[in-house]
Amino acid sequence: MIQRRDFLILGSLLGLTPYLKAETPSDFEKEFDSVVDTLSAVQAHMFPEKSLLPDATSMKMTTFLFETISHPAYDRDIKAFVLEGAKELQKREKGKFVSMTEEEKEKALRAYEETSYGSNWLSRMMTLSMEALFSDPIYGSNVKEAGWKAVSSYGGFPRPKTKYIGA
Amino acid sequence: MYDVVIIGSGASGGAVAYTLCKAGFKVAVLEKGRLMKREEFSKDELAYCRRDLVTPNLFEEYHTIEEKVEGKWVATPTYESGWSFWNGNIVGGSSNFMSGMLHRLHPDDFRLKSKYGAIDGANVVDWPISYDELEPYYTLAEELVGISGHFEAHKYEAPRSTPNFSQPPTKENAVVKLIDKSCKTLGIKSLVTARAVLSKDIPGREACYYSNLCGSYGCSSGAKGSSREALLKPALATGNLTLMSNTYVKYLHTQKKEAVKYAVVVDTITGKEKRIEGKMFVVAAQAHESARLLLNSKNDLHPNGLGNTSGELGKNLIFSGGGSGQGELHKDHLKEISFSDLMTTGLFVNRTVLDWYFVDHWWDGKFKGGSVEFMFEHQNIITRARKNNYSNDKLVWGTELGERVTKRLKDQKSIRFEIFNDWLPNDDCFVSLDPTHKDKYGMPVGKLRVEGHPQDVKVGMYIAKRCEKILEEMGAQNIYSGISSSPSQNLVAGGCRFGNDPKTSVLNKYCQSHDVENLFVADASFMPTGGSVAYTWTIYANAFRVADYIVTQLKN
Repeated sequence: MIQRRDFLILGSLLGLTPYLKAETPSDFEKEFDSVVDTLSAVQAHMFPEKSLLPDATSMKMTTFLFETISHPAYDRDIKAFVLEGAKELQKREKGKFVSMTEEEKEKALRAYEETSYGSNWLSRMMTLSMEALFSDPIYGSNVKEAGWKAVSSYGGFPRPKTKYIGA
Repeated sequence: MYDVVIIGSGASGGAVAYTLCKAGFKVAVLEKGRLMKREEFSKDELAYCRRDLVTPNLFEEYHTIEEKVEGKWVATPTYESGWSFWNGNIVGGSSNFMSGMLHRLHPDDFRLKSKYGAIDGANVVDWPISYDELEPYYTLAEELVGISGHFEAHKYEAPRSTPNFSQPPTKENAVVKLIDKSCKTLGIKSLVTARAVLSKDIPGREACYYSNLCGSYGCSSGAKGSSREALLKPALATGNLTLMSNTYVKYLHTQKKEAVKYAVVVDTITGKEKRIEGKMFVVAAQAHESARLLLNSKNDLHPNGLGNTSGELGKNLIFSGGGSGQGELHKDHLKEISFSDLMTTGLFVNRTVLDWYFVDHWWDGKFKGGSVEFMFEHQNIITRARKNNYSNDKLVWGTELGERVTKRLKDQKSIRFEIFNDWLPNDDCFVSLDPTHKDKYGMPVGKLRVEGHPQDVKVGMYIAKRCEKILEEMGAQNIYSGISSSPSQNLVAGGCRFGNDPKTSVLNKYCQSHDVENLFVADASFMPTGGSVAYTWTIYANAFRVADYIVTQLKN
């Protein structure tokens, strides 16, 4: 069985501690703000414009990501992992990832993917982005059901009247 | 003081409550989870399938799972692994979220040992009752729960006392034509699956509205035969039922050796502790949790757990063996039916194969096999979009991802089979109390050891090979199957075997504790062997049987 916590921490140079310590919402927001551009850039690279799927920016995928992982009931390990993986990427690319060309970004992410840590992090980013794009529009992404329309698949009825992220 | 206190509101708790309330007894049902009414359910994939809307937060309530690592048993808490063993902790339990593909056990499932002999490393025993004793209750469950279907005689289909289902089958996707034809070509008999979903309205419950998302979701028309819709609602209508949701039971207290006096419970909202007294106590918390509760109820009079003089409490836990497989039906290579018919959403694939329920073959040998259900791949959008997005071990993203995902969801539909075969009871599959881990109420959590028997995998592979042939005949592409020895956490039974000998079983044939007279266990815990179908119909039926016995006891 995969030991999830080990799985998330192993291979990290930074360790989870600073993010687990971020207990108050404002601490978390500060941490999130320090990596938000990187997170957005990764999502935009995964879901670019001119694809058969709607793009990350117009689908507000980063807002979804923030609302999800900032929720107090959301898995605290994954929360820390998302932030820390972004920081790791910034560090690997000496703070230049966001300003890179698409080709350079592709190269940087594929290199990151070569590490098992990076590959786990990218996979988590993909999952959270897919959750945004294909969940009910009530969660803020999948704007005007654009995600559903792109795949001709629709959530069933009744649709949710409230968001649920955690208890 | 209640006549009967029932712990758990799922299939078995509901059946016992229904019977006793109708018979005029005062009943309390204690349910850890909250009450979600029909109106509250939605098809929110995130909430129901990817977050924990209907199960406890694993950091607060969990299990530890023991696995053999380099010859040693290592227990991992499920909050580490994310491998939850909760199955729907709201009023009505996991019956709210079942797909409802149901079967009766076959008469030979009650006498597996006599029929097939002992198997090395497996603790197979015959049941103390026969199919004939349970048959009237299968019929009762069919009516009360609302099971739709169409009976067709087959050598491995259990006999029935009524000619056919009173509810016809739910509407079917055209793909059943392709399945039926392909099976026929291969000399395999495809049967209509019985399903705990109403095809016609009945008072208080509307027929299925074919939402396309059934299993894992609550039902918004009342068509699904959950304990909540089918049994607890009518039980409440009698005025005899006190339904206590948000009520966690810590342990049962015995003052004298032979009787439970009260349950010690915690209000999960206020944290307040109180006692619930009753004449009789019925444990129905789902197999692994029922055994845990009885183990947690140990005291000076019952030092090894309540009703455990046999030492068998928690032992011989079983799951469902088998696995699944699937293949893609592509727009360009579709036989027999039109692509738009195939893509019509909501309709069921009610097809079962029982041809390998028992195998007696000159070359393959004689052994207990299993059943097969056909269905579409679960229609969750996020799950389907997220699947198979690797190419040469690299995550696919960008425009390539767009092409891949749209193609996968628009140009094909995956058809799937699930195999159910016996999970042989063995010495390395049981629940005990974890010596260190406690849940948020301070009670030791259940520690599950979940090893299967090699025979289970052999049987699963035998059937999977044959099912792959059906998919091939149907023209499916990219066919694969996976038979695994890992447990099906949503199909769990055993742990409180019933039997006639108090030295080797926890319960008598009425699922009453051999040791404690006013204590019953009504869920799937009683099953010494599980049969090769989902347990649910048997759970309902047996709980009705147990309830009838409790009624006669109370009347005396």
